[in-house]
Amino acid sequence: MFLNRSEGLALALPAALFTTMVFLVPVAILLSIAFQDGAGAFSLQGYVDFFAQPLNRSVFLRTLKLGILVAGTAAVIGYAAAFCIVNLPATSRGRIFGLVVLPLMISPVARTYAWIVILGRTGIVNDTIVGLGLSDTPIRLLFTETAVFIGLLQLFLPLMIISLVSAMENIPKDVIPAARVLGANWFQVFFKVILPLTREGLVIGGTLVFTGALTAYITPAILGGSKVLMLETLLYQKVNVSNDFVSASVIAMILIVMCFSANLVLKRIASVKG
Amino acid sequence: MPRLAIWIILGLTLTFLIGPFLIVIFAGASAGEALAFPPQGLSLKWYAKVFTVESFRASFALSMFLAIFGTLAALILGIPAAYALHRYDLPGAETIRTIVAAPIIVPGIIVGLALLRYFVVPLNVTITAALFVTHTALVMPYAVRVVSSSLNNLRADMEEAAVILGCTRLQAFTKVVLPNIRGGILAAFILGFVASFNEVPASLFLSGPGVRTLPIYMLSYMVITFDPSVAALSALLAFMSVAIVFIAERVLGVSRYV
Amino acid sequence: MTRHLSVIALAAALGATSAAAQDTLTISVYSFAQDAYKEALYDPFEEICNCELVIETGNSVERMAKIEANAADPVIDMAVISSHDALSLAQKGLLQPIDTSRISSFDRLYPAAQDPIGDNMAVGYTFYASSIVYREDLVSIESWSDLLGDDLAGNVSLPNITGTQGPLTLMMLDKAAGGDASDFTGTISAIGESADDIVTFYSRSSELAQLMNQEEVIAAPVGRFAWSRFKSSPLPFAWADPVEGQAGGMNVMLMTKENGNEDLAYMLMDYWLSAEVQTRIAEALIDSPANMDVVVSDEVAENLTYGAELINSLNILDPAEIIANRDGWVEQWNTEVIQ
Repeated sequence: MFLNRSEGLALALPAALFTTMVFLVPVAILLSIAFQDGAGAFSLQGYVDFFAQPLNRSVFLRTLKLGILVAGTAAVIGYAAAFCIVNLPATSRGRIFGLVVLPLMISPVARTYAWIVILGRTGIVNDTIVGLGLSDTPIRLLFTETAVFIGLLQLFLPLMIISLVSAMENIPKDVIPAARVLGANWFQVFFKVILPLTREGLVIGGTLVFTGALTAYITPAILGGSKVLMLETLLYQKVNVSNDFVSASVIAMILIVMCFSANLVLKRIASVKG
Repeated sequence: MPRLAIWIILGLTLTFLIGPFLIVIFAGASAGEALAFPPQGLSLKWYAKVFTVESFRASFALSMFLAIFGTLAALILGIPAAYALHRYDLPGAETIRTIVAAPIIVPGIIVGLALLRYFVVPLNVTITAALFVTHTALVMPYAVRVVSSSLNNLRADMEEAAVILGCTRLQAFTKVVLPNIRGGILAAFILGFVASFNEVPASLFLSGPGVRTLPIYMLSYMVITFDPSVAALSALLAFMSVAIVFIAERVLGVSRYV
Repeated sequence: MTRHLSVIALAAALGATSAAAQDTLTISVYSFAQDAYKEALYDPFEEICNCELVIETGNSVERMAKIEANAADPVIDMAVISSHDALSLAQKGLLQPIDTSRISSFDRLYPAAQDPIGDNMAVGYTFYASSIVYREDLVSIESWSDLLGDDLAGNVSLPNITGTQGPLTLMMLDKAAGGDASDFTGTISAIGESADDIVTFYSRSSELAQLMNQEEVIAAPVGRFAWSRFKSSPLPFAWADPVEGQAGGMNVMLMTKENGNEDLAYMLMDYWLSAEVQTRIAEALIDSPANMDVVVSDEVAENLTYGAELINSLNILDPAEIIANRDGWVEQWNTEVIQ
């Protein structure tokens, strides 16, 4: 044809160069700090020092744990909700789906702020608990891992629901009723029919939720405080209080590796199940 | 599956997802002095107060500037890139695609920190410029992806037909391609705008005396103030985001392009 | 069309920060009472100097880290931070000595405020006492050791070790346990053991206001500068007078090296330390004065750290000692307390 490549490159390069200069280069430099020792030679000492401290280890494990818990819970609730949505008549389906997507458009600051009021000692949850007689005194919910878990779940659940709805819509309409007619109970229907057919949606949703939970800042900062540190809030402290850029770089690399691995692992699980 | 079960599950899920908002909206409408829910009496005074706090206005203006012009810049760079990836058989197309999509993959807080240390300080760039550049880079993946997706729906031969009929390539682009991907461009703009406006992690380190985006300012304000004005502000921002998306959907049927 | 607009707007935004119509002075201050400060200090000063004040707020240690990070090209001209954070900056060579002849009220300052960290690197502008704020309808506080006691378990907040109040709290807990303030290892371990009963470790005193109002916390050690928030709250708060006494400290003013804005900075320091302004600030119940000429009514004095007698009775921790030991404390804190 009359399309020449150099013309094409000229169109695409500005965007690529811009991103490279402004984004890739600074990030690469930041990540490289953790791989150098004082003299600039290659060294993993930064990582060794980082993991030598118990605080850093426990923050890492806590972040990993919450990431997995949030993703897992989101998957369970997500499947239930997605299944319901897919079985609604077309008119309500669009509206309910819209309501699910709505929170994603709103600033995470606003979304997290609400929990302060709800989970506080004088908040709704505690009022209900004490009112129902489940406890004599209000229980401490804020500044705990539970609060961070709830906040993260609320933040990322819509992503899982969207992925799963999208995946479920691609299941042919008569597959499930056919399975039921053939005598499968709901348990079998889920594990042998729905799950295999919606694998990809689960992988996408799972990756989005897991990486989101790992890299969230506001929710752990507001709901966890300095007692429940996650990798991102720890990074913030290292930079803003101690000017410790080596640790910051180590944390950055750990986060990137975790997000990448999560994607790979989930993809692997998905393809094996076939 | 029984009707009732469906409505219960969805009811609970939606309450969990949306309930907190409603609480924020009402907590902001409190007539009392402290943040509490249920509020002691109803009043719009805190909503009114939000408009009078000067720092809110300043950071709102900054966030708006970044969202509008950052997204525009991302589109100016991104539309040609999307077009080139779509129409030409470029060497290194995969590499280019990955580079342009990278900002979404890397955690925002790392982006902000890296830019602060290795872009702002060495090149002596102002914080505002750094924020602008960051937001552009962060929005670009949306721009490229959404525009690509609407380009895919465009028939290639229309452009060729225009050229055969006498248009120059540029005219073919502006008269044939652009009008047909208009919806996609608008969708990309809206998504990018919302993403930029609500952006927090990258903007966290890129703040200086007097220069702060609205979400960042709200975070620090939230910590030092315990009156309902923060709730009111959160609610107002929520309304704004929702309104933008709602209008876009109604008027343009934007969700088709996503 | 849109392309032109965006380029113009971009140029305008990039240029805006440097093409100021007036001179600007960039200062770094605590986030407290900014509204009151605006009225008592910033607005009147802007009229006098015909300049614009650009203000950065935050807690002391974070702002110190920022000054350090920007050392090559200072963004901040003048700052007010805690005395030990100032000492840390001075030791790193980031400050310039203050020419005390350019501060007209210098001789009228309390002796302790005249050269608080040595080499004239800083000047004290306010004293504060630190004690425990608590809900008097829910609990009573007699001693600093009550913080780790059963009455407050699950309802108390302590300052984070990196903040200004952190080491002061350690000192008082140590004193309550009979120590001599030479070694806080035991104190930190004690806090570590009670860590589960401590709701959170606050980084900014301003965080406490929200926590106390929501009853997440009913007692916490805090500096007197935060007292006005609690006093004006509808809930009944009281300021403790424990048997070990109150802790205290001084916040200081400093100037970054070669910032280029020394004239305006001196003008502000001179103005801030004058009897007139220090009195205004005191009467607004924001900060206690370092200028001995300030006279206020008894009612106002009660809410401040006012008077030579009170100032001399405070348990102060030497800034040099804080600097020397901070890293060790932080390491032990990270190991035993925050897990």
